[in-house]
Parts: sequence; structure tokens; C-alpha cells
Amino acid sequence: MESASVPLPQGGAGHAAEAHHHGPPEANQSSRIDRQTLGILLFIISEVMLFGAFFASYFFLRVVVNPADWPPKPFELPVAVAGMNTAILVSSSFTIHYALESIRKGNKQGMKLGLVLTWLLGLTFLFIQINEYVHLGFSARTESFGTIFYSLTGLHGAHVFVGLMLLTFATIRAFRGHFDKEAEDHLGVEVPGIYWHFVDIMWIVVFATVYIL
Amino acid sequence: MKFNEAAVFKWVLIVGVAGASVIGLTLLTRPLVGALWGLVLVIAGSVYGIRWSRDWWRNSRNLPGGPDHPG
Repeated sequence: MESASVPLPQGGAGHAAEAHHHGPPEANQSSRIDRQTLGILLFIISEVMLFGAFFASYFFLRVVVNPADWPPKPFELPVAVAGMNTAILVSSSFTIHYALESIRKGNKQGMKLGLVLTWLLGLTFLFIQINEYVHLGFSARTESFGTIFYSLTGLHGAHVFVGLMLLTFATIRAFRGHFDKEAEDHLGVEVPGIYWHFVDIMWIVVFATVYIL
Repeated sequence: MKFNEAAVFKWVLIVGVAGASVIGLTLLTRPLVGALWGLVLVIAGSVYGIRWSRDWWRNSRNLPGGPDHPG
């Protein structure tokens, strides 16, 4: 990411390379992909496996155990509210993409606007989901349905919270002028952006599975 | 064959359209039909993903690498 440098000492031209570098020597890089992007890719692969385990539990309960009513009567899932929440989260993917496109073109104001909008949309999503939990009328103890519903949506909600934390740091850094046009100078926005898109993709799958099917 | 935010955003759009088709089919017919269509999409996506990751891994390495293989 952004590297720190120290000023050149007077008359130290022979040691110019050492003077520019601060800290331990750079590690050898044998991959064409930078290590931060590779790290988030590997992290997302592990997250897909985690969600996969929860979806396996969901479909086991839904298909193999096959209870008479899903969701159990008299409970109903607020599909319209969740649908609106889906639209909010999908919109936030467009705003984070706008932020990245802006900084790629050197438009720092556009990046800041995109980051703030994404943060606000993410916070709105989380607020609506908590409000939904309050008014659902069933808890995680309400049969296996309640357990798997809160597990899947709660797991996703936790990811949204982590994404919001990453976006908070990225936004603060953006307002402090840490990011620039070159790819290696805005990895601090790129990596949270990739994570945010992943959270968005997972919600589309969670919504279609839990609320619609 | 890149992995960056723009490439992942493209996948948001693809999954969004696929999810919309599953939701639409479920609402128009029965949940079973939507679930089966979703399964077809997941299998197709998995096959594509495995092929993409194999090619990506092959192309994203500099061979040979490391300080023992200069140049």
C-alpha cells in the first residue's frame, strides 16, 4: 500500500536507495497480483465456505427434515421490507463502484461522495434489519426455522457491520487525503470495495433463499 | 482475467440478474421451480468459477520466482 519515505541525507547519493526505504527490506513478490488483493480473495473464498455451511444447514432443514409449515404458523416474513432492504444494499454497490471509478480518474471529491453514500446506505440496511428483528414476533428459539433464519441473516448482518467498519476507516482516510489516482495508491478503498461487493452478492443469495423460495 | 473491484462489481450485476430471475420464476410458478432454476445457475456459476480460477492462477504467477531465480 502507501509506503512511507524519509528525506535524503545531504551528500548521501551513494545510499539513495536505502535512504528512500523505511523499515525492513521489501519481501520478494512472486505473484503478479499484489498481496492485499490476493489476501482479500483468499479471505472471500473462506467466507464463501462459511456461508456454504449455513446454507447446507438451511437446505437440510428445509428439504430433508421438511416440516409441515415453513415458516411455522402464524409467523410470516416481511418480504416487502426485505426486498426494499435488498434494493438499498444493491444501490450501495453502485455507490462504492462510483467511488472507485472516481479515484481512478483522479476525482477525489467523487470518491468521498461515493464512500459517504455507501456508508449511509449500509447503515440504513443494518438499521432496517435490526428493526425487522424487533418486529418479527419470533426468536432464534422458535423451532429450527427461527434458529436458521437468525443464523443466516445474522451472519450476513455481522458481515455488513464489518464492512461498515472498513468503510469508516476508508472514508476517514479519504477525507485526510490518503488516496490517489494510481492503483497502488488507493488499495485502501479497493479492498473494502471488493469486500462490500461480496457482502452484497451474499445478501442477494440469502434474500432469494430465505425470503422467496 | 483480472481480480479487482471493477471485476467483482460485474459479478454483483450478474448475480443480481440471476437472483432476479430466480425470484421472478418463484413468484410466477412454484418455489420448487425457482429452487431448481437456482440450482442450475449455481452449478453453471461453479463450473465457470473453477475454470476462471484455474486460468487466473496459471497467468498470475511469475515463473520462476524468488531471489534464487534472478531475471
